[in-house]
Amino acid sequence: MKFRVYINFKPGILDPEAEAIKKTISNMGYKKITNLRKGKFFDIEITQSKDSLKEIEDLSKELLSNPIIENFKIEKKE
Amino acid sequence: MPKNIIGIIIFPGSNCDRDLSVAIKKCMGINPTHIWHNTAHIKKADIIFLPGGFSYGDYLRAGTIATKSPAIKELIRLSKKGTPVIGICNGFQILTECKLLDGALIKNDNQLFQCKNVFLRVENKINLVPKLEKNKIINFPIAHSQGNFFSDKDTLKSLEDNNQIVFRYSSRKGRINSDNNPNGSLLNIAGIVNKKKNILGIMPHPERAIDSFSNSKDGISFFEGLKAII
Repeated sequence: MKFRVYINFKPGILDPEAEAIKKTISNMGYKKITNLRKGKFFDIEITQSKDSLKEIEDLSKELLSNPIIENFKIEKKE
Repeated sequence: MPKNIIGIIIFPGSNCDRDLSVAIKKCMGINPTHIWHNTAHIKKADIIFLPGGFSYGDYLRAGTIATKSPAIKELIRLSKKGTPVIGICNGFQILTECKLLDGALIKNDNQLFQCKNVFLRVENKINLVPKLEKNKIINFPIAHSQGNFFSDKDTLKSLEDNNQIVFRYSSRKGRINSDNNPNGSLLNIAGIVNKKKNILGIMPHPERAIDSFSNSKDGISFFEGLKAII
């Protein structure tokens, strides 16, 4: 089985990298782009079982994200 | 008299362990024990230090990978029994990532790697650093790009209510405002302790303030005071 885990900063957490990208986009002349948030994703393969999703959830909470500053979202790929 | 053991846990990517060793030896007269990150059993330690650096290359988030190492599992076990723990810079990041300390250390709000001397005001005197009295102003260097302390409002209030904020970035005269905040930390926080007050995390580097050739020697009292607790 394959899952994709998306990690994003929670609203209100300052991301200086996204701010720098936004400024560059504005300097490039893309005046209609009003906001941009940066995140990351992990593609994970796991041996199928009834607990697969639960394991991916646990992993996302325990390692891949820091719940104080980040949210995660799990997507089943196949 | 049994020998005192001061441990320094070293990870791939740690780079302040030598400076820390020199500071401990010079100020406390004890040769520290170096503990490699994959050490599965720490028999005894009077104090455990987590040094600065870039453990595991800061991969994933600064400090995260280190939290899963065997030596950190031992540190968590011993700290719950009351063993004093001090994390400096990346060590502080590791302590927040393994939830031994509240909050998180995110990227500096000014997008800069900050490398300079800063003033700190001691907010609360703690047993771990007994020579630093409340309201004392000290001068330590900082060197980090992820030292911006963040937590939710409830946690921040609890840190204040329980006197867990130990150091705040200030002016030379102790004024605390945004002009004296090098990284965007909430409440200018530079160092906190846990509720039991046996675990300290501090972003600035006391081990880099012990020699006449450095800009400050305020680190000496930080380390000398530790003799009282072992």
